[in-house]
Amino acid sequence: MGSRPKLLIVLDGVTVVMLLTATLLVFFYAPMERVMGAVQKVFYFHVAAGWVGMISFLVAAAAGVIHLIKKNIAWDRIGVAAIEIGLAFAMMNIITGSIWARPIWNTWWTWDPRLTTATIMVLIYFAYMMLRAGIEEPERRARFGAVYAIIGFLSVPLTFFSIRIWNTIHPVVIASGDPSATGAFDMTPAMAQVFLFSLVTFTVLYFDLLWHRVRLGILADRVEHLKLKLQS
Amino acid sequence: MSGLTPFFRVLGAVVWKDLRAEWRSRELISAMLVFALLVILIFNFALELEPRARAGITAGVLWVTFAFAGTLGLNRSMAVEKDRGCLDGLLLAPVDRAAIYLGKALANWIFMLLVAFIVLPVYSILYNTNLFIPGLLLTIFLGSEGYVAVGTLLASMAIQTRTRDILLPILLFPVVIPVVLSAVKATGGYLQGLEWSEIQPWITLLITYDIIFTAVAFMVFDFVVEE
Amino acid sequence: MDGPANTVSYFVAGYGVIFGILGIYLASLVSRWRNLSRDEKTLADLEENQ
Repeated sequence: MGSRPKLLIVLDGVTVVMLLTATLLVFFYAPMERVMGAVQKVFYFHVAAGWVGMISFLVAAAAGVIHLIKKNIAWDRIGVAAIEIGLAFAMMNIITGSIWARPIWNTWWTWDPRLTTATIMVLIYFAYMMLRAGIEEPERRARFGAVYAIIGFLSVPLTFFSIRIWNTIHPVVIASGDPSATGAFDMTPAMAQVFLFSLVTFTVLYFDLLWHRVRLGILADRVEHLKLKLQS
Repeated sequence: MSGLTPFFRVLGAVVWKDLRAEWRSRELISAMLVFALLVILIFNFALELEPRARAGITAGVLWVTFAFAGTLGLNRSMAVEKDRGCLDGLLLAPVDRAAIYLGKALANWIFMLLVAFIVLPVYSILYNTNLFIPGLLLTIFLGSEGYVAVGTLLASMAIQTRTRDILLPILLFPVVIPVVLSAVKATGGYLQGLEWSEIQPWITLLITYDIIFTAVAFMVFDFVVEE
Repeated sequence: MDGPANTVSYFVAGYGVIFGILGIYLASLVSRWRNLSRDEKTLADLEENQ
């Protein structure tokens, strides 16, 4: 397999520039929050990572549906790439969320709907990987992966709503008080700009990584094919 | 697409086959039951389990019991098919795969309900309270349906992997949380004698989940048993 | 309240995690790519010599 297609080289360049810019914006342009101080700045990439975690699941589920209909292995490659990358960003989201929570709410963890649902999403991601790991035949692996991605994707919003209802009937009480009181902040225009730019940057980063991961999948399939050819 | 009557005939045949096979050996039910009773026993020593006073915990314990016993049932019901080659036999027949799915799911549902309806009187006796509240029975009905709808689909997949039994809980539990959560809250509500308005959101959620997942599993089952 | 809380250490930890995870994932992509490329070359050579 040869070098990267031109478009990918361009995308790589754009991604690096945007990521660098976003980081600089967060470090130097975004104002320091009055109450929370420096840790509030984690918010920009934390939410962006969560956003990517969610769209990745959507991509995986959509790829799953298309794979089941068209039976083309290319969609499975996209699916597994989306799950892998989504897992990385979802974990980024949860861990940074925890790091933000610690100084603000004086606890490493809260059972609020978003954090709990995000964790369950990570568990589903892991389950997907374990399912694939237990199947040898690529065709069946792809089919089962698609089915589980669809089921998983459908259950996540339901989980979120269930926990949300649970919270409104029994509001969460945590160590230092109601989380909606502290930890909230008003976004100044500068903050909003950095926030939006971070979201866009991470989305671009996501598709860049996705493309690379799919290429890796294509290479892996070629190697597998060569191996089988040699064995026969 | 085949006509409606053959569909129901296949469905009935699958359910009847499972029920009859189980009646002869009673392996499945015994395993699920012993397990359920052991769990209650162990929890009894760990927690204060008076149903009215500790409604929330009781509801949680009941559903943990059902969930784990349910997993046992799902695993064994699919494993038996695979090991005896029945699944392949069923699949060779020129019938709608969906009928097989519904048949299996229905049989699994019946098994889960059977376990529940033996656990409830035991619990009632042990704690000297009547747990046969209509609302609670409804909750068990709805909760186990959703559980079994997804469980049957995922068990059919898990049984075809190398890791088999261990994989089912890993696949099932994260995905089935909305069901178990709603079922626990509804159960707790009924045990405490809460107003319908407080319990209603959970029942609605259960019904929604049941419909969505039964429909999706039904549509997707074909892809899981292709050879 | 005089001035924002000093939470710089958490800020550093947060961004450490973000770039850490990103770095680990990129490293895994690169390393897998290298291994597979090497395998491909080996297999192609073997095929030619057959």
